[in-house]
This record gives sequence, C-alpha cells and structure tokens, in this order.
Amino acid sequence: MSETSLSVRTRSPWLVAVLAWLVPGLGHVMLGRRRTGMAFAAIVTLTFLAGVSFQGRLYSVEPGQPLTILATFAVYGSGILNLVARGLSDNPGGAILSPTYEYGCAYLLTAGLMNLLLVLDAWDIATGKKR
Amino acid sequence: MIAIIPVDHFLIMTLYAVLVSAFFALLWREGRRERWKLFGTLMASLVLGGLAVAWLMYPFPK
Repeated sequence: MSETSLSVRTRSPWLVAVLAWLVPGLGHVMLGRRRTGMAFAAIVTLTFLAGVSFQGRLYSVEPGQPLTILATFAVYGSGILNLVARGLSDNPGGAILSPTYEYGCAYLLTAGLMNLLLVLDAWDIATGKKR
Repeated sequence: MIAIIPVDHFLIMTLYAVLVSAFFALLWREGRRERWKLFGTLMASLVLGGLAVAWLMYPFPK
C-alpha cells in the first residue's frame, strides 16, 4: 500500500479540511503530497504577502455594504496568514490612496480563494473522491 | 508596510499571472509535462489577455 493511500485512510476529512484552511498546503502534506503541499504553501503565502506589501485591504463586514461579506469571506480563506496580518497590522483597511491598493486587494482576495480551493481539494482527496 | 516589489503595473500583472498559473497547473494536472503545458497556456492567456484589454481601453483613460 502506498504512503498516500495509507495517509488518506487514517486522516479525518474534517481535521484535514480545518488544518488545510488554517495553514495553506498543510492538508496536502497531511495526505502524503508533501511536495505539492509545500508548493501550494509557497504560492498562497507569496500571494498573500504581496497583497499586504501592496497595501491592500484585509476586509471586514461593513453595514450597508453587502459585497464586503463576500470579500471578508475570501480574505478569511487565507487562514492563519489573515489572522496574523490583522494582529500585526496597524491599518488593516489598507491604504486606499496608494497606487497599488487595488492590486493589493486583488492579491489578498486571490490568496484566500486559492486556499479555499485547496481546502475543497484536500477534502476530495481525504474522502476518496479524487486520487 | 515596506513595498517588497517595485510599483510597475506590468510587473505586478505578470507576477499575478505567474502565481495563478502555477497554482492551477499544480491543482488541475498531474505529471510534470502536463503541468508545464497548462502553466504556459494560462500564463500566456493572462498576460496577452491583459495587454489586449489594456490596448482596448487606451482610448478611455478615465
């Protein structure tokens, strides 16, 4: 039996999904796909850090602004990266006057959505829907 | 926050294309050859598509 199939059998899909959300790439590493998981971790982390560097916005839900619900969901998809950045940042709303603000927002939203896709992918692997 | 990447629109767009292309190539394909093929296709589509849209928007600066 291969290492991957053994890992898939012994891991709870819920545990894999939660850890995959919390730490980008960790779900794939837990399922025995170490190299792919590390590559995913590097890509999501680099995308998120670039977004922070471009002074993008770490969205929060604002009353009367329904689209911020979707944006907040996307940004929170980055897991621990988002939580740490919010804790360390003195301006989580970003710098709207910065020429790179819109780019930063796009990068941050993309990082979160990519990690949410990784959660779904890890879930599919853990439940045997994907090889 | 210190900017780690120079403010260059084309560079920022290209970096975005590299990251997104690499992500989907790893997610959607198995095998090195297939991944590189999808990476190239996505990369070319994003960069050339971005340049095409920029060219079409040139008469409308604001």
